[in-house]
Amino acid sequence: TGAPTKRKEKEPFEIDFSSPLDPSLAEMIYTPASSNLAISLPKTQWTSKTRNLLPDDKHFNSRQLVRLFLKPKARIGARRSSTG
Amino acid sequence: AQICTIFGDAQKTIAGHRKLVISLRKIQEACCYEPTKPGKKGEASFEEDDFNVEIARCVIRLVGVKKSEGVGDRIVRFLGLFLRHASEKDAALVPENDLEETQSFPETPSTRLTSHVLSILLPLLASKEKTVRYRSTQLISHIINSLDSIDDEHYNLLKAGLLKRTKDREPMVRVQAVLGLGRLAGNEGDEDHANGDSDEDDANGLLGRLLEVLQNDPSADVRRSLLLNLPLTPATLPYLLERARDLDPATRRALYSRLLPALGDFRHLSLSMREKLLRWGLRDRDENVRKATARLFRERWIEDCAGPKNVAQGGVLGEASPPSVDGLLELLERIDVVNSGVEGGVALEALKEFWEGRPDYRDAINFDDSFWDHLTAESVFMARSFNDFCRQEGEGKYEALVEEKMPEVTRLAFFLQRYMNDLVERLRRIDNAAEDEEDDDTIESEFILEQLLHIAQTLDYTDEVGRRKMFALLRETLAIAELPEEVTKLVVDVLRGVCGSEAAGEREFCGVVLEAVAEVHDTISADDPMVEDEDESFHSARSELSDSTPTKAKQGKKSASKDSENEEENEEKAIREIMVNMKCLHIAQCMLQNVEGNLQLNVHLVTMLNNLVVPAVRSHEAPIRERGLLCLGLCCLLDKTLAEENLTLFVLCFSKGHEALQITTLHILCDILTTHATLLSSPTTDPALQKSIFKIFHKALKATNSPDVQLAATTALCKLMLTSVIQDEDLLKQLVLCYFEPATKDNAGVRQALSYFLPVYCHSRRENMERMAKVVIPVMHSLVALGDELEEEEEMVGLGVVGGMLVDWTDARKVVVQDAASVSWDEAGRKQVKEVNGDIHIDLAEAILEKVMTHGCSKEEKKPLLSMLSKLYITANSNPEKLGSVSELVVEAIDVKVA
Repeated sequence: TGAPTKRKEKEPFEIDFSSPLDPSLAEMIYTPASSNLAISLPKTQWTSKTRNLLPDDKHFNSRQLVRLFLKPKARIGARRSSTG
Repeated sequence: AQICTIFGDAQKTIAGHRKLVISLRKIQEACCYEPTKPGKKGEASFEEDDFNVEIARCVIRLVGVKKSEGVGDRIVRFLGLFLRHASEKDAALVPENDLEETQSFPETPSTRLTSHVLSILLPLLASKEKTVRYRSTQLISHIINSLDSIDDEHYNLLKAGLLKRTKDREPMVRVQAVLGLGRLAGNEGDEDHANGDSDEDDANGLLGRLLEVLQNDPSADVRRSLLLNLPLTPATLPYLLERARDLDPATRRALYSRLLPALGDFRHLSLSMREKLLRWGLRDRDENVRKATARLFRERWIEDCAGPKNVAQGGVLGEASPPSVDGLLELLERIDVVNSGVEGGVALEALKEFWEGRPDYRDAINFDDSFWDHLTAESVFMARSFNDFCRQEGEGKYEALVEEKMPEVTRLAFFLQRYMNDLVERLRRIDNAAEDEEDDDTIESEFILEQLLHIAQTLDYTDEVGRRKMFALLRETLAIAELPEEVTKLVVDVLRGVCGSEAAGEREFCGVVLEAVAEVHDTISADDPMVEDEDESFHSARSELSDSTPTKAKQGKKSASKDSENEEENEEKAIREIMVNMKCLHIAQCMLQNVEGNLQLNVHLVTMLNNLVVPAVRSHEAPIRERGLLCLGLCCLLDKTLAEENLTLFVLCFSKGHEALQITTLHILCDILTTHATLLSSPTTDPALQKSIFKIFHKALKATNSPDVQLAATTALCKLMLTSVIQDEDLLKQLVLCYFEPATKDNAGVRQALSYFLPVYCHSRRENMERMAKVVIPVMHSLVALGDELEEEEEMVGLGVVGGMLVDWTDARKVVVQDAASVSWDEAGRKQVKEVNGDIHIDLAEAILEKVMTHGCSKEEKKPLLSMLSKLYITANSNPEKLGSVSELVVEAIDVKVA
């Protein structure tokens, strides 16, 4: 990923390493979560029934609709257009 | 202070990182080592602590930085870079003998610094703020990935901390966690970690946990990161390759474009896995995945076969090796082309991509006489795929190339004949040896012949000499009863092309095929194949056979034999008769698939119908009867009257037939009805017949326990409805229900066909859309009822979603071609975008309102219906009466407090 050369719209953000830590920031950093649950994924999302996989693809397409079942070659103009 | 400046500079750009790392290292060295005695650890622990605290201070500044800020990422990179650099320098300073003495890694200023940073970060992993969790996880994972080792004390804490984060609420945190753990799992996998057995279990635990995440994490980013960062081992590989079917296209592409090329030699994968990966990838629904797969095949896999031997496979993407035909042949062997190269197999697609992307191979390939003399499955497939590619792709720009490289018709016919003889000889040998199974050589021989016939199909037959040669060869071949079905089919197909496309050509074609059928039929009563003269080539044997009338001679011989032998012989003869009849019907079927003209005008076809097909349909042998029906169906396509006469027969076959026959009947009926569109809708149509046809479609759609029948009925109805042959609302409703009801959940074929069909059907014609609008209310009603009966584990798509889809399918703005009725509204002569007539939705609104106000409309039904109202497209130009009645209904609905 090439880094964008110039970002003019946004004011460039910089970390000030030398100044002391802002107390509110410090609080934000050091406050632990009230409970583990609050920062965790709900249990219902721990498992996926499908294992996040696609169903078997049947490759249904318009070509199947314009040709006969018994005579797969008999379809309207399709053969010629693919060679021409 | 210096350190702050360095960090300040480091956040701006990564360009200066190397320099800054060196400066920072100098500061570290100044703090930690006695300047006068380099190579020995300094006692100045005070200064070292200062340094470490200062670094940690900077780290703390980092963890509050939002994910979107590049600054944060640059600092993370910088720290990683520095820690690696510093550790390497430290290691170089440790005397060699020290290294050998200590078992674990020696402690150095940098390891102490790392420990310090990590101990600061660890508690932050459980921070309330997602940004803090994100940055701390990111930094920890980055450090893990930057360093060779982590000390044991932190190791387990880190692992535990990160494992918790794999269940973080935020996907971005989980991504970072798995990046770090992937590395840890890799280390544990290949090196025996200090504590031995117990730790090995631990490693399995970690890996197992990650594999679980790989399968189950709802975020594709997490799965993809893990896919690319898990160690490649035999144990993980099946899980990684499974991602070839991941829901997310980018993840699938990552597998094909990054993981698989880096995997090393593809020949280590199992044969079936190679085939699956190719098939899934090349037929993926996402174009980028298809492209990545094509590249993998023609750039990486070929390299494994064609590249220099015995070169370490480091996954380096170097220059491609020069074309190697042997390499390509090996590649074809490695994808088992005898199996993957059959019709419908993936090899042809793979090779098309190969020729497309490898012009060097296109030029290098050469087919000389010795090539054709020594064909193998691989080499003939190479030629066939090259021929197909050149003739089908590139809009003719490869024609010259293929003309130059392929043999002309006469020569091809010559080779074809040779391989034909070879196959027939083998088949007869097998026949005589009474072996049941074909051996590999015969299968290969068959495959070679099929490929040659595929080539023959594409040739130009204007040269009369070549044409005649090919014609004679095919004509002779066709009469060989032993010819396998696929070869027979191809021979008939080629013969059709050789005969020329005009009506006279078709007549000649039918005549010559039916002659062959007659010859095959004659073999029922012919001598045993044993008696045939084996020495003669099959051509002469055949022609002799067709000239003589061996029937009587045979019968004479038989009468002399004993009764018991007779019985056995009779049984054998009956079986043989069935086989031959099946063969004849198959040839006829292949022929009919290539015929277009009117049946009655072709005397050959009429004869065939009466003498072959009709007796077959009446046969007591089920296989013959069924094949006869198929031929009869094909004949019906050529003759409307014949079709009309036989519709009832096919309906009967569906009602009485087994599953396979039901499917065939549905196909036949669909083809007949689409070919002769008026059969079902003409005034003379018997209403009872129409009813019975609709009834079998209804029945088939509901055949939940025979998914194939259901699929056949679904696709057939899709065709019949798109061609407006069937316009029945009940069947449309049934189709919509099939799409949503849980019973078809596992029938991917039905679901996918309908997800294509339904929007196309509705958006293609206004009448279709109006029909859909009429079934909306009944569909919703049925689905509500279905929802009530749902078993606990069954899932159904929410009614709100269903409603949304139904609204979309009935949205008049989406009709592709707006007809006159919809545009005639503001015909003012001015060029304006004409408003689409929204009457369909007006009617729908009326129907919905009426429905929700009827007694007995349950709450569950009202809710989705009412929410549909808000999505309707209703315009001021609609029919005023309808608008009026709808607004009245609205008032009434508010009065009775429907909602």
